[in-house]
Amino acid sequence: MIASPVAEPALRRRSLSWLKGLGIAAAVVAAAPLLGVLAAALSGPGAEMAGRDIARYAATSAWLALLVGLVTAATGTLAAWLTVMYRFPGRRFFTWALVLPLAVPAFALAYAYADLFDVAGALRTGLRTNYGFDLPFEMRTIGGAAFVLSCAFYPYVYLAMRTAFISQSASALEAARMLGCSPGKVFFRVAFPLARPALAAGVALAVMETLAAYGAVPFLALQTLTTGVVRAWSVFGSTAGAARLALPLLAAAAVLLWIERRGRSGRSHDGRGSAWRPLAAPRLTGARAALAVAFCLFLLTAGLLLPAGWLLWGSLDITPEWPRLLRAARHSLTLAVAGALLTVALATFLALGTRGERSLAGRFASLGYATPGAVMAVGLLAPASILWQLFGGTGNFAIGIGLLLYAYAARLMAAAVEPIEAGLTRVTPTMVWASRSLGAGEMRTAFKVQLPVARGALLTGGLIVFIDILKELPATLILRPFNFDTLAVIANNYALDERLPQAGWPSLLIVAMALPGVLWLSREIAASRPGA
Amino acid sequence: MAQAKEDVLLAKMMKVAAVALLAGACSQGADNADAPAVTGEVNLYSARHYDSDLPLYERFTSETGIRVNRIEGNADELIARMRAEGERSPADLFVTADAGALWRAQTADLLQPITSEALEAAVPEALREPEGRWFGFSRRARIVAYDSTKVTPDEVDTYEKIASPRFRGKLCVRSSDSVYNLSLVGALIEAWGEEKAEEWARGVVANMARAPEGGDRDQIRAVNAGVCEIALTNSYYYIRMANGENEADRKVTEKVKLAFPSLEGQGAHVNISGGGVARNAPNRENAIRLLEFLASAESQQHISRHNNEFPASPDVEAPAPVDAFADFEAHPMPAYRFAGRQPEAQQLMSRVGWR
Repeated sequence: MIASPVAEPALRRRSLSWLKGLGIAAAVVAAAPLLGVLAAALSGPGAEMAGRDIARYAATSAWLALLVGLVTAATGTLAAWLTVMYRFPGRRFFTWALVLPLAVPAFALAYAYADLFDVAGALRTGLRTNYGFDLPFEMRTIGGAAFVLSCAFYPYVYLAMRTAFISQSASALEAARMLGCSPGKVFFRVAFPLARPALAAGVALAVMETLAAYGAVPFLALQTLTTGVVRAWSVFGSTAGAARLALPLLAAAAVLLWIERRGRSGRSHDGRGSAWRPLAAPRLTGARAALAVAFCLFLLTAGLLLPAGWLLWGSLDITPEWPRLLRAARHSLTLAVAGALLTVALATFLALGTRGERSLAGRFASLGYATPGAVMAVGLLAPASILWQLFGGTGNFAIGIGLLLYAYAARLMAAAVEPIEAGLTRVTPTMVWASRSLGAGEMRTAFKVQLPVARGALLTGGLIVFIDILKELPATLILRPFNFDTLAVIANNYALDERLPQAGWPSLLIVAMALPGVLWLSREIAASRPGA
Repeated sequence: MAQAKEDVLLAKMMKVAAVALLAGACSQGADNADAPAVTGEVNLYSARHYDSDLPLYERFTSETGIRVNRIEGNADELIARMRAEGERSPADLFVTADAGALWRAQTADLLQPITSEALEAAVPEALREPEGRWFGFSRRARIVAYDSTKVTPDEVDTYEKIASPRFRGKLCVRSSDSVYNLSLVGALIEAWGEEKAEEWARGVVANMARAPEGGDRDQIRAVNAGVCEIALTNSYYYIRMANGENEADRKVTEKVKLAFPSLEGQGAHVNISGGGVARNAPNRENAIRLLEFLASAESQQHISRHNNEFPASPDVEAPAPVDAFADFEAHPMPAYRFAGRQPEAQQLMSRVGWR
């Protein structure tokens, strides 16, 4: 273990400055909407909603988060372990293909699965009339919703665990094998405990996405805290009531983050000094190989091929209004790229500037990600209101776009900060000290040492934010300027109007736009090797 | 080594940024290119996001030279946005597809009263706010779709019968999150008083064939699939299915039929799509012109033809395919009377376990 409890604080004290200033600034930017939520919560009378209902919403939210957490942890970890540690047919392909479901918006998965397995849908009707039997499950249940959201979010765990397994010292695993551990034991006693921080980070992302999901969950007929927020807001016209409902959720998210950090602190398990070299991956044969292939294929089918295929099938009858869709596609792309750059830059400052601190600001900045979309919209209106009142309302296009980018950064900061911080843990304090003692300043050290080492992590963070913005709904819906639709907005409008085939095209365009990004970056990540 | 990598990373980021800027410039250009020669503009905040409304706005622009700037979204998000924008809100006209949302905009003091002879002529008194804060320009009835092989029309000719033991476990209905259900229950409270309305809602919950899920179309399809015998639905979803592109949906409507239950013998509950001029509208005159345009007989017919709603005015003839269903009795209850009862309705539905 490297971290020296004596030396670090001394270094830290001297390095108060630019980086820290920028880090704190980034945290403030991200936290402003949450302050908006707090302000809203105190702003007026709440909604007269039955406590029984609120308890039911909270329980549903908790169950859903728990189920998605468990399922994504298991599937993502297994997929990463198989593709890193073993050779089997198609392994190279699956290595990057398993990331692809990240390109599919959760709401599109919900449309596709709810429609495909609807009681009155073609599939079930056909089964009933022709074979006299019905499928034993429904998508519009908590189990169904957990399945759908897990399909959408398992790549977060897969990505994090893959990076962790690749970075692990081969010698530790080989030593375990030599000491008599079976491959299974190596996994449970060495590799998995070593990868625990990555698992926590990946599952945290998946669970946060679940709590914040907008569009998908109500479509699957689940009533979660978001339902309560929307009811308080719309039926009872009380933003205060909506914001108050969000407070326990924010608190839960804060506790989750705190537990995760606490577990991680003081346990940097990087193999010191051991040069990275590829593991000798054993080849799976026979039934084991078939099982591995089947598992990976199932994930890919459930997360991408089946839902996208079904949406495409349903949409083929429809001739979409291409000029409008293409314009929306350009809007989506522009916002996603610009938003990703801004968010990664802010997240990097945050990660570097508050590194190693138990800084409240840093933790607070990540909460936006776990906040339900509808609540975040309430919170975002607070800073937006100030800007609008200052610069003359939403008539100003530049202000509108600026606000949107800002909203994305605030909502998605955690998605970028998590991988970047995880990546920065690979920079040992000695590396920083070496750079500093050779005369490099703090910024120079950041740019010459820390960021290059965490390069893969920056790309991961950028990728996730890019994809998330393509799929983003609540902030875009409420803050966008005049005559400015994104693909997600159009898909959502059609779905609300119960025109699913029409919603298919914009959803598929999102997938098509996200896929190259996911592909490019997932191949980058697959190819990246620490120390190579 | 590290330097080289950093350079590669930076170069990539620059490339990406360049592409983004280009794309942004293109989309900007495209937006501007769309604008016809205009002499003014009107800013529309609309919770109606139907494609069929777009040609209407285009026609308005070509007739008047006034450009329509749109922001579409959920009614309550638009209301929240107008509140946040305060006095400098650019909103001129607020349009939505539920009387309850118009009432909430009104109580948040976001709408101003206007007087317009054209609007008063085009919109029946029951479908507008007495002081002119909002006007309905189309109607949708909340009625019953039934399985014609198992149910006769006279079994569903009143709202009471829907909640009667005849249909225990045989009713499909959306959740109480649906504003259309809220408005219906609001109207029942208005007509019957709270006690009877609650009794009715209790009967509905007892009659549910399954926990509420999906939208109105899903309920209609579920009737066809045998999950239930009757379903509560908005009229235009059914009419759209009966005349849409989807063959399976058209087939559904051969077996599933539409009935118009009556409230107190006075007709079926109808809700409205409507709009009101924003409190701080910077283009007030243009907003009134657009609202008058939307309420014109021509526009009412356009909306009816393309979105299958009923025209607001009894003087406007319903076009095909809506005309086949337009000959029903609508309850004369003024929209503003039930519009404000949504919070009560929600609490009542929560009490009886209507999720």
